Amino acid sequence: MNDAVASFDIGAEIAGPVRLMTAERIEWYDSAMLSAGKGELSQVGVNIHTDDEYAKAQGLPAIIADGMIMTNWCSSMMIQHFGMDYLEHGELRTKFIKPVYLGQTVHVRGRVLSADRSDGGVSYALDVWCEDENGIKVTDGDAKVEVRRR
Amino acid sequence: MLGGTIGDLEAGDEFEPVEYELTAFMCREYAHGVEENCEWFHSPLAPGGRQIRPPTMIHVDKMRILERNCLKERRMSGEAAPDARVHYEYHARQHSPAYVGERLVVSGRITDRYVKRGRTYIDYYLEVRTSDGRLVTTYTDKTLLKYAVEQELAA
Repeated sequence: MNDAVASFDIGAEIAGPVRLMTAERIEWYDSAMLSAGKGELSQVGVNIHTDDEYAKAQGLPAIIADGMIMTNWCSSMMIQHFGMDYLEHGELRTKFIKPVYLGQTVHVRGRVLSADRSDGGVSYALDVWCEDENGIKVTDGDAKVEVRRR
Repeated sequence: MLGGTIGDLEAGDEFEPVEYELTAFMCREYAHGVEENCEWFHSPLAPGGRQIRPPTMIHVDKMRILERNCLKERRMSGEAAPDARVHYEYHARQHSPAYVGERLVVSGRITDRYVKRGRTYIDYYLEVRTSDGRLVTTYTDKTLLKYAVEQELAA
């Protein structure tokens, strides 16, 4: 990717990755989070994201994906479209409104709600969300980013 | 109450801060784990020639500060509590990128604890600064302390 940021009109739609939720993706995330926290390669243990029996004992119907996987995919979409501006003065909120189970396909989407232009650049507000293969929202959210004139 | 489990945390609890050095491995491993392919997070092939921390790594900092402050529930040490916690909301504001090699300080507190539809939630406020005071990320978070309500578990 490069650091060039496109200009968006109100109502413009952006898209992030489309990915199947697999046990491997859940394990990749959970182990990576643990490794990043510890500063050494680590393997996630039993939890509601990795062990069906444990998840059921906690009252869940089955393993659920960690919501931060969807957050990260939304964040990737923001990086892809807004580059350093998102990292320097961006904002992302995600709410995990429905669980994501193994075998669901996650579509990451965004829509520009406002674009306030000034001499300094443009301030965007967006809806961001993840939906499943049936178009049902599983993660809801919003984002803001100031794209500054460089 | 600090020193116990996450379930013991109460509104007003102020965490003991955590300071650590951000390494290339931490950023690379996290980016790899979430299939974030932007090279900025994997190497110094980034604006300014310095590897950048993925902005969502504030959530790792949440785990880090809980490890320090909840001595009876330490996920990094493999010490779990009876109830699994379920993350409900993430909200991060980025103020400046953090770069590999910088020392980061994570601080924060519990801002609320409440019951909604029979389930108990806690709200966090966290912030990350460089050790020389530059603000990197501010963050709020809602977490459900236990998924099942008591009667569901008994059924």
